[in-house]
Amino acid sequence: MKLQHIAIMAAMATVALTSCEKVSPIGVLVSGTAVEDRVKMSSLFYKQYRDEFDMAGVEGDYTFIVGGDSHLTTDPGRMDEMLAIGLENNDLLYAHLGDIADTKPQYYITLDSLLKEAKYRYVDKNFDTDDKVTYYPKGEEHNQENATSFSEITFPFFPVVGNHDITHNGWALWSNIFHSSFYEFPVFVVDPVTGDVEAMDRFIFLDSASGTLGQEQIDLIEEGVLDGDVGSLFRHTFVFSHTNIFRPSSWQFASTFPREETFFLLNQFKKWNVDIAFCGHVHAWDERQFEGVTYLTLDSMSEANSPNPGDYLVRVHVNADGTITWEKVRMNYTKKK
Amino acid sequence: MKKLLLMLFMAVAGIGSAGAQAYNGNHAFDGEHKNEVSGYIVAGNNVVTDGFGGLAASYTRHFTPRWHVGGDMQMQFGKQLFSFDAGGGYRLPLKYGSLYFDGRFHYNRYHKFNFNEIIGNLSVIWESPYVDIRLGESIIHYQHTGDGYTEPLTLTFGIGVNVRHRDNPWNLGLFFRNYDEFYYENWNINWGIRFWAPLPKGMRLFGEFNVRPAGSISQLASKYEGSVKLGLKYKW
Repeated sequence: MKLQHIAIMAAMATVALTSCEKVSPIGVLVSGTAVEDRVKMSSLFYKQYRDEFDMAGVEGDYTFIVGGDSHLTTDPGRMDEMLAIGLENNDLLYAHLGDIADTKPQYYITLDSLLKEAKYRYVDKNFDTDDKVTYYPKGEEHNQENATSFSEITFPFFPVVGNHDITHNGWALWSNIFHSSFYEFPVFVVDPVTGDVEAMDRFIFLDSASGTLGQEQIDLIEEGVLDGDVGSLFRHTFVFSHTNIFRPSSWQFASTFPREETFFLLNQFKKWNVDIAFCGHVHAWDERQFEGVTYLTLDSMSEANSPNPGDYLVRVHVNADGTITWEKVRMNYTKKK
Repeated sequence: MKKLLLMLFMAVAGIGSAGAQAYNGNHAFDGEHKNEVSGYIVAGNNVVTDGFGGLAASYTRHFTPRWHVGGDMQMQFGKQLFSFDAGGGYRLPLKYGSLYFDGRFHYNRYHKFNFNEIIGNLSVIWESPYVDIRLGESIIHYQHTGDGYTEPLTLTFGIGVNVRHRDNPWNLGLFFRNYDEFYYENWNINWGIRFWAPLPKGMRLFGEFNVRPAGSISQLASKYEGSVKLGLKYKW
């Protein structure tokens, strides 16, 4: 075999690897902004604007809803349905497991519009206003202490970044909407009478879009950046990652973490005392326990990948007595003909 | 009877899949040598464990032109990774190259993370003068202090190409695969450049520059690990 034969084979391999319409040659060779830079940008934003991630205190029980791999393109039906389901059920927050849209600018414009519309609906349901300038939480007195503005209200939608979000330089689009791919925040559970904090739950969002956390993120984790304030005792911890740890079956060829990183994460989740780790990426459901941690890998909620109605979302019930239960939530939207 | 004993050994030693690979190619018994021993040093950087370095050694015994057995071990400092494996194979000569049916059983100790891993691999390797292709399956089980997990069967695949005929005393090639000497992974590809060159007294210098990205096809640019291996091989 001559050198030119090898060159031909290399060219054929390149063509084969890039033949998928969702993967361009540029996407294969350069994933856009690398994980190290994404994490540096995210951790800077997170440190500087940490208040933006704060949730209002909750009283007693609460729920949150998780979905992933929406791969939003021209049809925003399933994404819209997830937002409506969460609003209807009064879920405290939404968590999304990445691959939220498929990297074209117009898809992110659609996504941004959806989220803005959802925020209007969320504010309309949860806040009162007399003049559309000053807003007050429903049921609270209309006084200066309770007053807020539309822009100050956080729409509680918290995503991780996925590999489809970073190809074609998608990070620029993704980060323009969500700002940070590496963050955590606590949810304070307060006594309805005294207002005292009774418990604190922790939500951790990791940037695993590149199939690795990268050096910077691992260093930050080891430094304890996601461990909360010194002395914090968390009742529950929930972790969200795009890349999955456990593979549902032999036929799932989507990448998982490399060996050392798998073992690092399994140890870290145990150290964090994680209750549930949510993953996506592989487009298949998987549920398992490892050393006391529940690992839930969610199927794709995209109408393209999962055209039939199905249980693509998970709702977690965090009960006042400290117990946790979860259920699958059905999505009924089907693609328009 | 001899073959039966060998097959029994393979069944015990190589319960699973196709395994550790001399990455400069399998070497059929040439009628003159029956023993091969090699060793290499490795150094690299991994995003989880930072810098690492280590040693590996390998021995292969050719009983006949068709049957061989062998074992490997490595120690990687920094990663605190210690590995052993044993296995065997059968070579079927073809008109163009050879077909190897290979079985191997590995033990890895990831001491830094307190994980023990056992792997069985069965593979078929087609080795031609310029191209080698491996296909197989691995069964992987890891154990931590309180729990264990057996992964679903994991496909093993790899392709290597040489710029010169395999029998040449020096060669240069490329490889692309989802495994390495002591690990098998799902869709995490590692790729790189390999070479070998002659040394006096039947010895051979070999080496490999290995890039190990993380993630799937659309994530290939993600840096996870890079390493260099440099070793010597001797046959008698």
